[in-house]
Amino acid sequence: MDVSANPHPRKSYWLSLAALAVVLPVAIVVHSQGELIQWLRAAFRSPTTVEKGASQSYAGADWRLTGLARLPGALPGTTVVLAEYEAAVEDEARLRDSFPCKLALVDDRGRRWKGTFMVDPVVRKMRPDAAQKPHCGTAEASRKGDTIRMAESFVIPQDADGLMLSLALYGGMPDSLLLK
Amino acid sequence: MNGAVRSLTAVIVAAGVLYAMQRSTPLYSDITSPVPVAGRQGERVDTSAFAIGIAKVYLARSITFPSLSRTQHYATSGVWVVVESAVEAKNESLGLTSAEWLGPDGLRYRYSQRLTNVPGMPGNEQFEPGIPRPMLMIFEVPESQIAGARLLVARSPYAPLAEEAWIDMAALSTDDIHPSITLSRGGQQMPWILKVE
Repeated sequence: MDVSANPHPRKSYWLSLAALAVVLPVAIVVHSQGELIQWLRAAFRSPTTVEKGASQSYAGADWRLTGLARLPGALPGTTVVLAEYEAAVEDEARLRDSFPCKLALVDDRGRRWKGTFMVDPVVRKMRPDAAQKPHCGTAEASRKGDTIRMAESFVIPQDADGLMLSLALYGGMPDSLLLK
Repeated sequence: MNGAVRSLTAVIVAAGVLYAMQRSTPLYSDITSPVPVAGRQGERVDTSAFAIGIAKVYLARSITFPSLSRTQHYATSGVWVVVESAVEAKNESLGLTSAEWLGPDGLRYRYSQRLTNVPGMPGNEQFEPGIPRPMLMIFEVPESQIAGARLLVARSPYAPLAEEAWIDMAALSTDDIHPSITLSRGGQQMPWILKVE
């Protein structure tokens, strides 16, 4: 007779199966060396919403949306949106290390538009002052206390509503701002 | 004796199954290849990232396109396939950089790298959500690969498991081949002007 034989093989089978369901995910999490937890944290983090006219400290500066103007678009059914925003420098080194920016215009349906590569001709014509302002990607960090004024133009359909400016700096990710 | 025959049969069957599995194992590139979204020419084809509709297809023996300094003539020993389409991004601004002509023999032809400077070609335009824009695709293919072809369009050639539009093209024949097509720069609304000769 085999003394090592399991008297309750069915029970052991189910216990082993249940243990596998726990041990396997734990093994994956441990093996990822924290990267999986970081990824989940970033994936489920929502941007900080900044109310109209308010400012928010982020990545070494205090950010504020100063204007969101609709201008006539060159293509039928389109509008050019000129977004003007500023960053009051709080920590020069941190801001410099956080560039470049990832900027998008977001509507109430969650659609996202990237800025135009060149300044739209209608912006040059109707708002030449704004056309001179740097993009977030081309702006250079100034000294503490300085304010960097920037502008970006977007081509969007006329029916887009509830517009907000989504702003993220690579050095500040996974945090980001949603400026109303 | 009966048991031995059964065991031998089981071993042979198992070996056959293992061989079949080994031969039919998909490559990693097959497992991660784009997910096809089927459609037909003349219809709107919706992928998760963009929608595309094929308007017109032209065949020609040569293409003429004026560059900055002089007019260039592009000849071919095959056929030029010029596809006019409209594209709209769904959720976010994007560029389309992958367009392939899938011939009836399973041969794939990427959009021509000889004419990438023509306005409207893949990679030259950013598509925006809610704003349909024209896109031009030009392929250089053998005559045998015209009829019964499919057009494959994706956001990028290197996007595993992303959706790719697979568009069945309307019947084309060698009778539809024009001697020449002239392309020139258009305006903001239509980036190119196409003239059949």
